[in-house]
Amino acid sequence: MGETKKSAVGDMLPGTLDMLILKTLSRGDMHGYAIVQFIQGASRDVLKVEEGALYPALHRLEVRGLLRAEWGTSDNNRRAKYYRLTTAGRRELETEAAYWDRVAAAVTRVMQTA
Amino acid sequence: MSLLTAWHRSIALLRRRRLDRDLDEELAFHLAMREADYRADGLGADAARDEARRRFGNVTHLKEQTRDMWTFPTFESFRQDIRYALRTLRKAPGFTVVAVFALAVGIGGNTAIFSLVDAIRARALPYRDPDKLVQLWGNVQRARVERRGASYPDYQDWRAQSKSFEDIAAVDSQSMTFVGNDDPERIQTEFVAAPYFSLLGVSAARGRTFQPDEDVVARPAQVVVLSDGFWKRRFGADPQIVGRTLTLCCAARQYTVVGVMPPGFKGLTDSAELWVPFALWAAPDTMAARGVRGFAALARLKPDVTLAAAQSDMDAISRRLEQAYPNTNEKRGAEVSPLDVELFGNIRPALLTLMAAVAFVLLIACANVANLLIARSEVRRREIAVRAALGAGRGRLLRQLVTESCVLTMLGAAAGLVVAHVAVTALLAQSPVTFPSFATPDLDVRVAVFTVAVSLACGLLVGLVPGLQAQAPDLSHALKESARSSGGRQSQRVRNALVVAEVSLAVVLLVGAGLMIRSVRNLAGLNPGFDAQSVLTLHASIPRTLAPADAQSAAGATAAPAPPSRPVVEGRVLLERLRAVPGVTGAALGSDLPLDGGASASFYTAEGQPPVNAQNMPRIYVHRVTPDFFTTLRIPFVSGRTFADSELAPTSLAVIVSEGVVKRFWPGQDPIGKRLKFGGAPTSTNPWMSIVGVVGEVKYRALPQNPTADPDIYLPFTDRNSLVGLVLRTSIPPSSLIATVRAAVRAADPSIPLYNIATMDELVGNQTSRSRFTMWLMGVFAACALMLAVVGIYGVMSYLVSQRTREIGIRLALGAKGQDILRLVVGNGARLIGAGIVIGLVASFALQRVVSTMLFGVSAADTAAGLAVVILAAVAMLACYLPALRATRVSPLNALRSE
Repeated sequence: MGETKKSAVGDMLPGTLDMLILKTLSRGDMHGYAIVQFIQGASRDVLKVEEGALYPALHRLEVRGLLRAEWGTSDNNRRAKYYRLTTAGRRELETEAAYWDRVAAAVTRVMQTA
Repeated sequence: MSLLTAWHRSIALLRRRRLDRDLDEELAFHLAMREADYRADGLGADAARDEARRRFGNVTHLKEQTRDMWTFPTFESFRQDIRYALRTLRKAPGFTVVAVFALAVGIGGNTAIFSLVDAIRARALPYRDPDKLVQLWGNVQRARVERRGASYPDYQDWRAQSKSFEDIAAVDSQSMTFVGNDDPERIQTEFVAAPYFSLLGVSAARGRTFQPDEDVVARPAQVVVLSDGFWKRRFGADPQIVGRTLTLCCAARQYTVVGVMPPGFKGLTDSAELWVPFALWAAPDTMAARGVRGFAALARLKPDVTLAAAQSDMDAISRRLEQAYPNTNEKRGAEVSPLDVELFGNIRPALLTLMAAVAFVLLIACANVANLLIARSEVRRREIAVRAALGAGRGRLLRQLVTESCVLTMLGAAAGLVVAHVAVTALLAQSPVTFPSFATPDLDVRVAVFTVAVSLACGLLVGLVPGLQAQAPDLSHALKESARSSGGRQSQRVRNALVVAEVSLAVVLLVGAGLMIRSVRNLAGLNPGFDAQSVLTLHASIPRTLAPADAQSAAGATAAPAPPSRPVVEGRVLLERLRAVPGVTGAALGSDLPLDGGASASFYTAEGQPPVNAQNMPRIYVHRVTPDFFTTLRIPFVSGRTFADSELAPTSLAVIVSEGVVKRFWPGQDPIGKRLKFGGAPTSTNPWMSIVGVVGEVKYRALPQNPTADPDIYLPFTDRNSLVGLVLRTSIPPSSLIATVRAAVRAADPSIPLYNIATMDELVGNQTSRSRFTMWLMGVFAACALMLAVVGIYGVMSYLVSQRTREIGIRLALGAKGQDILRLVVGNGARLIGAGIVIGLVASFALQRVVSTMLFGVSAADTAAGLAVVILAAVAMLACYLPALRATRVSPLNALRSE
């Protein structure tokens, strides 16, 4: 696959994966695989989520009460675990998004002035 | 960690199985989806699955990481460690059994003794704020300070003048005859001042206790409070008991019941069944005499007053009284003593010594287990190195080892609790020392906590040594090293040190036990001055009747002095009846008997004595006895004779004294016919009495020594005494005569209650019970110590031999004889044992002072110590010899091949 540099989400700023998961789930309930696919697709294949990082992250968010998990049935009729954003998760997403905007803008400014 | 997170994790802890299943399923779903996508991209089935897995990475690692989100990681690894520890322990059953056994003995013994010690703490007293309760004792400065108790006037001054106490209450214990419908019975009665009950913080379960106006010497109220047991036993728990009357004492006095105490309350004496106001303690003129002393007082310290402050308060009062009443209060003081010391003082030192002894046993057990663990850690050196190579952190490995030893000690603790339970029950059943009835040593929560604490401490201790040794595993070296090669020099040194420590601790215990055994044997062999074998002792309270003629005159004139009264049975008649009992070869009466605690002392003056002061004023213990008292108890006459029957009269002036009197006043002279009289002052108006006989000194009041060196004086028995002691010499075992003797007394008169029936051997035994108790337990502990030490030595020597198999094989191949090998191995062990013995002996001598109060007639340099060392050396050498013998049987070929 001839492609330009891809980035594993884990390589980026810490906490970014959590934010991306929260953002993804703000569109609706999804299972873990769908989350991976969505992030990859939405970033046009730039961001690649490692399974080794995704599931611990999902469970960490669930333990923190930002997500709630429920067993449901997938499109292909298999039992799958669906994650849903809780109110606390929504609040957390807002905070994270605002923080990200500030940081990203700051980084951009630095890059432009240099 | 937020509360919510902690909550989720705690829940997860309970549902871990389901969580694991969920996670498995979730990951399987993910893999399946990825696989399906790859297939859609055109990969073959196998390729798609492989690619999906490859992309997924290490599933186990991921699972562990995810699981960590849900759980407390330290707890999780702790769980793992425990499971791993149990598995390794199961794989080495011999090691586990020996270690758990050693620990069970150590921990079990400690817990048992701790239970006993805990049961006799101040806190255990069933009274309000027991650590503020004290007893006040009047004392006198003679050759040394002696306790005498208080007189009523002194007591009243203490109450009026002291500022340290919330209140003070006089207490004395006597027995009184309860005249019931059937058998008259002697009942232990406490004479108590009104504040007694409130001082203890105990109130009546029914009715009330005494009021201050009932405890007035001028007009004491005839009221009584019953114990719960007495009320149930003699009154069938009559609910209408309050207000009823009962008849007590010889004078057929009526007492009104005012209250019943709650169950379990038996007063300070722990044996009282009745309480009467202290004002009834003695006749009003006796109560008014400042010189008549004989009771202690109970007091409660004010909250902010220390014992020392209270003592100096009492000292000041005593000095004022001494100035005001020099005749009666010269050199008189008052001692403030904590109540728990008074009640438990006699058992505590023994138990604390035993506590130290059993702690030694535990130390030996720990040393043993540490040794075993070190030996194992050598064997496991490779395993540990491999684990370190696979990335186990150093701290993690250390934790694993400590966990393992903790698991081991907890197993030991569990077994130890069983041992302790059995031991406490056995100790209480066997103990010749009486524990207070309220002290019911039990394995309660605190004891369990103690056990767990001790065992965890042990676990850390024994785990740390091999753990630290495993700290620096030189990886490549360890992996190369064969499992057989001998352990590092350093660990060998640690193991040797442990063996030396074990041996020396065992020596200390063995010497201690040996000394106790010798001491008890000395006590048993001690000559008390009389022959205690085949003697039955009993006490009787002989009621008195008014002589008929006197009774008539008494009816008219109540103000006249008490009319003379007669005993219902004369002592002479009673003795005749008892002598007729088959099996009785001799019988005598005494106002009190040796070791029955009934003796009282008087000051006296010897004719022609030099002037004396309060410190050396001659004092003598007075006994009234029938003529055959001396032959019955086989008390030898030094000179003179016993009383003639004609001298058994109240007016008789014949006396028999013990040797001490003669040695003090008429050494080297013929004492017969010398005179003395009662009363400390030479001006005393008491009549002079002539010595007709001199007998040997008797340990009349305590064994191994009388508390004070005062001699004894014997006066002719007259029927004035209503409380009498009876001694019977028997030709058959004395205790088998109790029933017939009872019947004979009842036939003489049914209204005579008998009490305190015991063989003289039992009385002697009670005096030495503490020593025997200590000896017994010290023996048990020493045996445990010996056994554990031997197991330890054996273990280490066997290990040593197995480690040196190759070396021994080479030596044998090069022509060494079996004997040389034997000498090599045994010599090795002998050095360790020798060092342990030397250290142990030095420690024994150093510790001797601690136990010296419990010893009688022995010192640490005693042969017992020598014997202990010989036993230990012999057994320990045997423990070396067996592995050494095995070493000589090593086949050189096998030994070399075994590498």
